[in-house]
Amino acid sequence: MKRRTFVGAAAASLPAFSFLAAGGARAQSKEIRMIEAGGLSGDSIQVGYIDPLKAKTGINVVRESPSSLGKLRALVESGQTSATMFELGSGVVLQAKKLGLIEPVDWAAVNPAAMFPEAKAEYGFGYQYFSTIMAWRAGAKEPKNFTEFFDTKAFPGKRCLPDYPHYCLPFALQATGVPIDKLFPLDVDTAFKKLDEIKKEVAVWWKAGAQPPQLMKDNEVQYSICWSGRVVGDPAFGLNFAGGKADLSFFGIVKGSKPEDKAAAYKLMHEMSLPENQAKAAAVISYTGPSPDLDALLPKDKLWQYPTSKQNKAVQYFENAEWWAENGEAVNKKWEAFKLNL
Amino acid sequence: MNRRERSTGFGFVAPLLVLMVVAFNAPIAYMLGLAFWDKGRGFTLEHYQGLVEAPVYLRVLGNTMRIALIATLANVIIGYPLAHWMRGLQSRARLIAIALVVLPFWVSILVRTYAWIVVLGNGGLVNRALQWSGLTDQPVQFLYNELGVTIGMANVLLPFLVLPLFAAMIRIDDRLLQAAASLGAPPRTIFWKVYFPLTLPALAAGTLLVFILCLGFYITPAILGGGRVPMISNLLDTLINQIPRWEQASAISTILLVVSLLIFAAYRRLDRQASL
Repeated sequence: MKRRTFVGAAAASLPAFSFLAAGGARAQSKEIRMIEAGGLSGDSIQVGYIDPLKAKTGINVVRESPSSLGKLRALVESGQTSATMFELGSGVVLQAKKLGLIEPVDWAAVNPAAMFPEAKAEYGFGYQYFSTIMAWRAGAKEPKNFTEFFDTKAFPGKRCLPDYPHYCLPFALQATGVPIDKLFPLDVDTAFKKLDEIKKEVAVWWKAGAQPPQLMKDNEVQYSICWSGRVVGDPAFGLNFAGGKADLSFFGIVKGSKPEDKAAAYKLMHEMSLPENQAKAAAVISYTGPSPDLDALLPKDKLWQYPTSKQNKAVQYFENAEWWAENGEAVNKKWEAFKLNL
Repeated sequence: MNRRERSTGFGFVAPLLVLMVVAFNAPIAYMLGLAFWDKGRGFTLEHYQGLVEAPVYLRVLGNTMRIALIATLANVIIGYPLAHWMRGLQSRARLIAIALVVLPFWVSILVRTYAWIVVLGNGGLVNRALQWSGLTDQPVQFLYNELGVTIGMANVLLPFLVLPLFAAMIRIDDRLLQAAASLGAPPRTIFWKVYFPLTLPALAAGTLLVFILCLGFYITPAILGGGRVPMISNLLDTLINQIPRWEQASAISTILLVVSLLIFAAYRRLDRQASL
């Protein structure tokens, strides 16, 4: 009796599982899923690219967030590739490629409009430029470069810096006098030494991009290194693109995606390459798409806010994703050790 | 309950057991196994070796233990007098006091943690009051350091200590204390010789419970620590979500799990004594 009830109960619960699996597999290419970074950036994808795609082809794209590399690994290793497109940072594209989590983009199928070459990567569609820059609470003394930003005597005030070494270290290195075109290969030890000098003045190391603007508004800190889209156009803040980091966010194709889903994803990528769509997205968040023809479509008075406008692109350095893909993990260990001694 | 009844009972819970094993235990076992097995290479201890060679992760674990200990002590210092005071209240006042202790359970931990920013921030209530009263001219830095994390953790975990402690205290027969007094013991002696020993098992059990919960804290250090208070769950987040080095995370988790289980075993022993 005992064994029979157990087996019976187990068998009864089995159909429930197979039903779940079948429900997941019945995806149609009239609708695909993407995992993106969330926030305003996600809204800009909706307005700029998904809505136009739906109007043209009837294909819907369902958004989910946030998009961490761990999530992608779980998605692929479980074999349950419910999402077709996955948003990745420039360094993360290389990591994901190394781990075998994404597929090459079929650029012939995307058939994109003109794009900046770095955005047309083998394993990813670079869809959004964003900058990491210095900003301060309105009224604070204004630093002109990172040497001044890190000079806490001449520019007194609490700092809020990113809790990520690949954001912090190149800025610290600039403060020691290294010009932006000589940052890589990165002199990690010198950069840490500089951070050691000012760590007492750093009130918060941020993990979420929403933190620095809020902390500056609350007067918890006066100076931040933060994402440009979070502070431009807000009179509460001053900012400077000088020495900032320009970076590119990508969309990759999740490994093992079904061909009909990929076809839909390439259609969306095509929409992402059109400058008129990128202009719509830039109206939602002040990050820019990869089209060289985009500047002409953007409002003239707001050009100074965008990562890729001429005057801003000239003073920033571009993220060296290859270097970080090679050295990221070792630097990360040093970062944890550094944080223990705060 | 005879054997037959027991086996029918097992039949009824079997679906739930299967669900637990499949949906809960199997993934945990898989994650823990990750640290020992490499795809294609079989058994390996390399991830534990990595821990020994680069001890920074173990130092984060040590830091976590230290902060958990501080937060637990703070809890005891606040919680014991509070529970004792509640015992002495009239029944209606006692009900209100219990409600006030339990109330935070219904508020999201995220909301409670952010509330501390409003209260303790540079422009927060406490700092404004301090500056208004002239006690300080500069805002006191309560947040974004270990103090802030300790305050936040103590707040969240206080009910876990106060409720079992209160339950034990209320079971103490008043006549025992009266008997001690009638034999001429001064209040201090009554407290230390009679009252305190009777609450000790519950105190120890509650303390251990709070300590174990402290070890796994994530939200409070992330928000109130300002990235300056490295704790193990925040490190695991980096290893799992960002890098992603699940094997390393798994090795650290295994160590954390073993430590927690050891503490839990101690808790169970004390708990059994407390309920005798």
